[in-house]
Amino acid sequence: MSLVTVLWSMEAAAALTLGASYGLVWLADRRNLANLMFCLLAVAVAGVARAEVGMMHSATVAEHGEWIRWAQLSLFVALIAQLLFVHYYLGTGRLWLLWTIIAACTAVLIGNFLVYPNFNWLQISTLRHVSFLGEQVSVVGEGRLRPWQWLPAASRMLMVAFVADAVAQLWRTRRPEARRKALVVGCGIGIPLVSAVALGQIKVLYGVQVPPVQTPLFVATLVVMAFELSRGLFLNQRARSELEELRSEVARAGRVTALGQLASSLAHELSQPLGAILRNAEAAELHLNGPAPDLEELRAIVADIRRDDRRAGEVIDQMRALIKRRTLEMQSLPLDEVVHDVISMVRSDAVARHVALYCVMPAGLPPVKGDRVHLSQVLLNLIINGMDAIQASRANTKRVVIEAQPHGHGQVEVAVTDSGPGVPQEIIGRFFDPFFTTKASGMGMGLPISRTIIEAHGGRLWAERGRGSGLTFRFTLQQAGGRVS
Amino acid sequence: MSERGVVHVVDDDASFRTALRRVLMAAGFEVHAFASGTELLARASPEECGCVLADLQLPELNGLELQQELFRAGIALPFVFLTGHGDVPSAVCAMRQGAVDFLDKCAPQETVIAAIERALQRDATERAARARQQRLSRRFATLTAREWEVLRHVVNGRMNKQISAELGIHERTVKLHRTAITSKLGVRSVAELTTLAREAGVLG
Repeated sequence: MSLVTVLWSMEAAAALTLGASYGLVWLADRRNLANLMFCLLAVAVAGVARAEVGMMHSATVAEHGEWIRWAQLSLFVALIAQLLFVHYYLGTGRLWLLWTIIAACTAVLIGNFLVYPNFNWLQISTLRHVSFLGEQVSVVGEGRLRPWQWLPAASRMLMVAFVADAVAQLWRTRRPEARRKALVVGCGIGIPLVSAVALGQIKVLYGVQVPPVQTPLFVATLVVMAFELSRGLFLNQRARSELEELRSEVARAGRVTALGQLASSLAHELSQPLGAILRNAEAAELHLNGPAPDLEELRAIVADIRRDDRRAGEVIDQMRALIKRRTLEMQSLPLDEVVHDVISMVRSDAVARHVALYCVMPAGLPPVKGDRVHLSQVLLNLIINGMDAIQASRANTKRVVIEAQPHGHGQVEVAVTDSGPGVPQEIIGRFFDPFFTTKASGMGMGLPISRTIIEAHGGRLWAERGRGSGLTFRFTLQQAGGRVS
Repeated sequence: MSERGVVHVVDDDASFRTALRRVLMAAGFEVHAFASGTELLARASPEECGCVLADLQLPELNGLELQQELFRAGIALPFVFLTGHGDVPSAVCAMRQGAVDFLDKCAPQETVIAAIERALQRDATERAARARQQRLSRRFATLTAREWEVLRHVVNGRMNKQISAELGIHERTVKLHRTAITSKLGVRSVAELTTLAREAGVLG
């Protein structure tokens, strides 16, 4: 096989590969038209490569003329795509100039297929063979150029002007990133474009026929632009993941703040009776250490201590009632729907933390009786707890599994299991104590509140060690319309 | 048990107030308990001694406002604040207004008593300084207008001759005024006179 065929095929393959990649990128985000233009350019470059191989290997004048025609078609698409790429990617460039160029190129293209053998040549009499890359390739030997051949050349000049103008516009913004972009695009597209124009003019002015080498020039452009686009993609991806992180941080902060306020008001309410108990106990101690303890006074102190203890208990009861008081709107709920809603709420958080969420729901699971908002809150809390637990582990499998199954006595049992490192049994016992937390930023109120909610639903919530390494939180709910246990 | 000083307790929570009074009385302090800042303001006089142990969160007048109001009324009692959940800004504000300490309601008794001791110590020191200054200004108040003029020149280091020329009086009269001043103020030398005048803050 000839070296020309090998090289040009490789170039075409490279162009198509790059084109396919960015075509897919464009399909994922169709607003970014620069990616589409890149894809078009790449496909057209493959066409140019094929036509050039055809030209170089053509045996007859007619065949050569025919390939020139096809080369012109591919060039048309490639050049227009290139200009539109500049326009969309840099966001600059004069539109009237762009339209003028498109009109001129379209005219050339139409003319190309109307006249024989093509737009540039009035007549091709003979072919000549020149040595190129160690083999003999065909170029036009004798022939007459059409007088209008200045039109394609002029439109190429306009293209150079358009690119130069677009780059200059961006350069003048003085932003370093914009200038870098302008420079890369200007060189990556401008230099091959100018080279192509120069080569074309050498042919015309000096009558020296050189083999067609537009393909390598375009491939150079493609490589530079692909590098540029991938840089943008990478930066975008990073910005997006930062945004995602920020969003989940805000959500977490919101939860912490709400619980923080609750905890703070609880702390304030409790400080009075607790402070009083402490002061009374201290006073009693001082009395007892004295020479003649006043028993009457001590009795009064003890009575006050009892009263303050009751008061502290009432504060906690009030807080419980406050959580319960938001009236539960009991209705028949399809559990799978509630679970899926919650999963969609935490999905982006889970993706950001590389945690897979699985939902195992048997078909025909009976609906449960419950308050949608409150149950969602419990599920949300348990799933986020699970994800937080996994965060600490270095295990490769990071997953939270939500399962539901019918349970005896007209109940349904829901289990949320994480693949985290698990915790010792004695800590599990303290999970439901208010203010108990294993997290740096936790308030330790999530599980006590969740338990209160489930108990208000007539169910139970408890924790146990999972089948694997992690933890399982289970709770039961009443089936809607089921027998009341 | 000996009286260790007077503590004005201000807390709206009756139970806490009672408990606080019990422990402070058992520790040997004289305790005056008030349910609000206004109650204390109504009862306190500039001669009041001791310190104030107040909750930061009080109805009507909060702890910081009470501190300002007392100061405005010329009652300079040192403050110790107790709070259920203190925040940094109010702690900073309290200390800037001259509070002795800012404690948690559940702070151990030793800490509270130590703060009270410091507050009482400060009250005693400031009271003594104020009393001395008052005594001094009373003594200076007995000087006549002419004697004041002479005094001003004397502490500026003028000779009798210069003073007599300045005030247009006889040198002998200047000497008489000087004798009157030193006897009224009970000093013997010009150096002593200058120190005293500065201490009493009567001369700019």
